[in-house]
Amino acid sequence: MGLSQNVVFGLVTGSYIAIAAIGFTLIYGIVNMINFAYGEYLTMGAFIGLLAVTMLPVPLPVAVLLAMAGGGVVSLVLARGFFTPINQTGPVPLLLTSIGLGIALRSAIRLVAGRSARYYDTDTVTYRFDSLPDLTVGSVDLLGGFFVTSEHLIVIGAAVVVFAVLHALLTRTDVGIAMRAMGDDESLARVRGIDTQRIRDSVWVLAGVLAGLAGVLIAIQTNVSSDTGFSHILQILSAAILGGAGSPYGAILGAYVIGLVLALSTAFLPSGLTGLSSAVAFVILVVVLLVKPSGIAGKEVREA
Amino acid sequence: MSVLDRLPSDHAQQAFLAGAVCLVLGALFALTPLRAQLPSALYVFIEVGILFVVYGLLVLGLDLQYGHTGLVNFGHVVFFAVGAYTTAMLSAQDTFAGIGLGYPWPLALAAGVVVTAVVGAGVGVTSIRLRGDFLAIVTLATAEIFHSVFVNFEDVFGGNVGILGVPQPIAAVAADGDTRMMATLLVLGGVTLVTLAGVTRLTEAPYGRVLRAIRADELVTRSVGKSTLTYKMQSFVYGAALAGLAGGLFALYNGAVAPGFFTIQVTVTIWIGMLLGGAANHRAVLAGLAIIMGLRLLSRFALDVTPVGADVFASLRLIVVGLILVAVIRYRPAGIWGNEQELGVDS
Repeated sequence: MGLSQNVVFGLVTGSYIAIAAIGFTLIYGIVNMINFAYGEYLTMGAFIGLLAVTMLPVPLPVAVLLAMAGGGVVSLVLARGFFTPINQTGPVPLLLTSIGLGIALRSAIRLVAGRSARYYDTDTVTYRFDSLPDLTVGSVDLLGGFFVTSEHLIVIGAAVVVFAVLHALLTRTDVGIAMRAMGDDESLARVRGIDTQRIRDSVWVLAGVLAGLAGVLIAIQTNVSSDTGFSHILQILSAAILGGAGSPYGAILGAYVIGLVLALSTAFLPSGLTGLSSAVAFVILVVVLLVKPSGIAGKEVREA
Repeated sequence: MSVLDRLPSDHAQQAFLAGAVCLVLGALFALTPLRAQLPSALYVFIEVGILFVVYGLLVLGLDLQYGHTGLVNFGHVVFFAVGAYTTAMLSAQDTFAGIGLGYPWPLALAAGVVVTAVVGAGVGVTSIRLRGDFLAIVTLATAEIFHSVFVNFEDVFGGNVGILGVPQPIAAVAADGDTRMMATLLVLGGVTLVTLAGVTRLTEAPYGRVLRAIRADELVTRSVGKSTLTYKMQSFVYGAALAGLAGGLFALYNGAVAPGFFTIQVTVTIWIGMLLGGAANHRAVLAGLAIIMGLRLLSRFALDVTPVGADVFASLRLIVVGLILVAVIRYRPAGIWGNEQELGVDS
């Protein structure tokens, strides 16, 4: 398998991590909390989509919309029930609450759905790009044969659409502009007459919608089990922090860096140690927090 | 003057006395012909009890870090694991996979504590300046990195199998299984009680007041001329060293270490125990841990009398555990026996 195949995998991973990381980082920037239960929103979105495809049954695009709607509702309900009441207590109680909530949600999903992984049955069409010219320099295979499946294209395409819609939302709509204002300075935003609670709720809904979408995309690409979200949360977190916690554009950049590093590390790690590639995202996370905790484009996280 | 009047009245001395009594009793069971005979129904209590006193060392260390100094360490299990692996690798003989050097166990245990303290200093020196929730994330990620290293470097750490053939000093001298369990519980419980006495002394001294001042307001504490960073580092390293001791003792009791013993579940259990009991109060955090581990016992018994499977029960237990954490933070942020004023929380 050539390096270019790893690049394809990296772009795919980066795409779904980016969609999830945007939601995660918006919560951080505006509600000022690290929501560790966010991974579970992905899992729920993936299961809602799966139920829609198998039980109702509806076509995949409709299922994706249902998963996004479900993610938004779940996110808002949980925020109202668990996070909004303790908003004033500071970041650590919020983080601990989200950890407790995450454990409870993950176990509840396992209780209902069981332990085994489920698959979406999407008629796989594999587009092959084997015929591209083989550029080899030295022993490094720059552009070997690689393949792109329809699932890959769906995931990458969905990410591009999300980025465009998000950019329009943040720059063209009142809600989006208010979100950015709150992220910059909440009290100033309130003085200017922005209904901060309403904007917070919008952020929760938006984050949940993105989580639902990311969950379905992960499930289409691989599978879904009760641990799907939890196994991705540290990658999402790493992407958000690498990009600069609170910055949606940074999160996109961070996600693709994480995705590519993860995919390429499997090519460079000696065989037998490829299992370490999952630790690579955490190493990036730790290094970024220690060296440049404000990330590529975020606000300061060290204490004064 | 009766004997009762001469009993110590302050908590540290009481704990030290109780710990010494436990250690002597444990030695009696292990070394003399004295035998323990336990009804088999009690086995599960003793097993969970041994785990409780080992985790008790962890929670005391974590309480020093979070309860007193306000350091949000969410990777405490990594120090537990480092202590356990160091002790196991130095002392193991004929291990199946990984390194086993076969040195005497007291040396290995001491090395375990020292290595853990050094690792604690390394983690602390790099990350202790971070804001609370980010410190939590860094320590959590550090734990995941170590976990991955333990699993992947099979030649060194034995992979998923771990290190086998660790000497079990108490089992080696005890006459039979029942006596061994009793002696183990008493000796490890004694160590935990003596540690309780030590940390109580430390935190009742002016030193502990500085730690709590840092937790309450670091800027103010710095402005009265205390080097808060030094105090935070010390507190972090003490907590790590205690976890290293717990890990070493666990390895020597269990006879083997494996990555499965050192998951994020351990961190979560310790944290919930601490918050439930009341951070910054040593006896309260042990009581909180007892409650949360009692739940584990309860679910084992419930499993025997209900028709549902073990998987369902494990899920239900975790739902309850997660919701306890959520409820404590919302409704009793100072914990059951914590001091609200001292912790500076509203409830």
